[in-house]
Amino acid sequence: MASPMIPRERSDYSAIVDRPPLKLPGNARIVFWTIVNYEVWDIGKPMARQLLPAPTGVPLMPDVVHWGFHEYGMRVGCWRFFELYKKLGIKPTLAANARICEDYPRVAKEARDAGWEFMGHAYEQGPIHKETDQAGMINRTMDIMEKFCGKRPVGWLGPGLTQTLETPDLLAAAGVKYIGDWVYDDEPTVIKTTRGPLVTLPYTIECNDIPVMIIQHHNSDYLLKLVMDQFDRLYAESAKRAKFCTLAIHPYISGQPHRIKYLEQIYDYVNRHEGVLHWNGEQIFDWYRGVAKTEAAA
Amino acid sequence: MHPRERLPYSPIEGRAPLRLPKGVRLVVWPVLALEEWDMGRPMARMVISPPQGQPMLPDHPNWSWHEYGMRVGFWRLRKVMQKLNINPTVTLNARVCETYPSVVKACIDSGWELNAHSYDQVPMHKLDDERAVIDKSMDIIEKFSGKRPRGWFGPGLTQTFDTLDYLSEAGVEYIGDWVLDDEPVTIETRHKPIVALPYNFEIHDIVMMALQNHPSDEWHGRALDHFDVLYAESAERPKFMAIACHPYLSGVPHRIGHVERTFAEILSHDGVVAWDGSKILDWYLTEGRMRDAA
Repeated sequence: MASPMIPRERSDYSAIVDRPPLKLPGNARIVFWTIVNYEVWDIGKPMARQLLPAPTGVPLMPDVVHWGFHEYGMRVGCWRFFELYKKLGIKPTLAANARICEDYPRVAKEARDAGWEFMGHAYEQGPIHKETDQAGMINRTMDIMEKFCGKRPVGWLGPGLTQTLETPDLLAAAGVKYIGDWVYDDEPTVIKTTRGPLVTLPYTIECNDIPVMIIQHHNSDYLLKLVMDQFDRLYAESAKRAKFCTLAIHPYISGQPHRIKYLEQIYDYVNRHEGVLHWNGEQIFDWYRGVAKTEAAA
Repeated sequence: MHPRERLPYSPIEGRAPLRLPKGVRLVVWPVLALEEWDMGRPMARMVISPPQGQPMLPDHPNWSWHEYGMRVGFWRLRKVMQKLNINPTVTLNARVCETYPSVVKACIDSGWELNAHSYDQVPMHKLDDERAVIDKSMDIIEKFSGKRPRGWFGPGLTQTFDTLDYLSEAGVEYIGDWVLDDEPVTIETRHKPIVALPYNFEIHDIVMMALQNHPSDEWHGRALDHFDVLYAESAERPKFMAIACHPYLSGVPHRIGHVERTFAEILSHDGVVAWDGSKILDWYLTEGRMRDAA
């Protein structure tokens, strides 16, 4: 069996200054793409993130306290999100572990009925490198979501954005049309897989509450400042070519009382500007396959 | 038992609201933690690592950092609490009754609730006999104070799958280790059910100051942000806000001012009161039962 392609074989280097600009419809100049992440943290495994390591810092299992920390997001925090996006009339992308359809049907149903886009995000939260049957897990994830939503997801985000070299081939084979794991451009791109082209959308690992709050430990209002700075620059540049400003959030972090108002203020700020579209991944993909005439659209 | 067997998932949306006594809409739950850091072991937390970064035993610098809290910081925090008329829940390693009896006596004389926090600051997972340590901790505090503690916090909030069963057998009625809701919840054990009060470890000085390294004034900044949202939400259903303090962190000169203004500003709002865990539990045992029976 041939060894899988390395990223450079999937995508040639391309300088943004050498590319013709992409154009959004009408007077739109920038897309604000919100990704909400709903996960399942299995108590039988180490918890995905830790806020308070045990005394003396040694990792211990079971980690009930961080199980509870995450569970707060599903019991309380996510309802602050639902209320916000309903008020704003935004239908974000939901990067959800498929297992939420089984463990939290109440939450999954609320998102589905609100018209959110379901994006494949593995069966549960753990690096994809640790899957013994990656293709099986990907198919199972897509099948569960298809069954729940009545429609197969178009997009995929690896858990923690993880991929092995084979992953894009396995995703394309499972029917995935776009991924968010390649944070290497300001614009969508098309990459090669053994199963045809796959689109990458301009996702972010910086405007994301996990690194900003849980890893870098910034103050609660810092996500707002970071996104404002990010948006200001992209907005200025969007006078010349379409730009995308992406925000990824988790209910156990941004759904906490001391952070939620800063999330609300992000939208207050962004919406003061002309020419902003709140599109989810599928809407960006649909537009892009039209303008780029990519075969991935076929 | 698996946590999910102890408590089914329940979204707060659609749950019947609880009712606080007339005029009260938000309860602040101040928690003051007293610990014993045994010099023979690695210190629970480190503010400074040795040159070249390798952990060394004995860890004298971090031992003395903690000891400052018991010699000085506690007394400074006590003055603030007394000035603001706050009775916190004191969660203590039982061994504190042996090594710092005057500190525990001062808490009892102030009328503060004592809550058990194991025997000393070691994760529950590392104990050879969890049940024996729980019983011993409860017995020592009961003997010292004349009252058996009703509440428990695991050291570093740690638990194994068995801890809650042992706690219930030992007479514990509530815990703070489950940070999963804005309201008290009743969880199953193999003995009697236990109530998990709405604690949180984000408004928590170890997490903010010793682990996330925020500037001292973020103590106030994050707490007020947290409060503002809960206070607004408390128009529709009761809210609870736990605030956790450790004397070696919150009792130091550069933070105590932020601690004081945080409590003072929060408690100056209409309908906001400070209750200890025992009082929240008593209210919930009546009110929660009425709601669930309805």
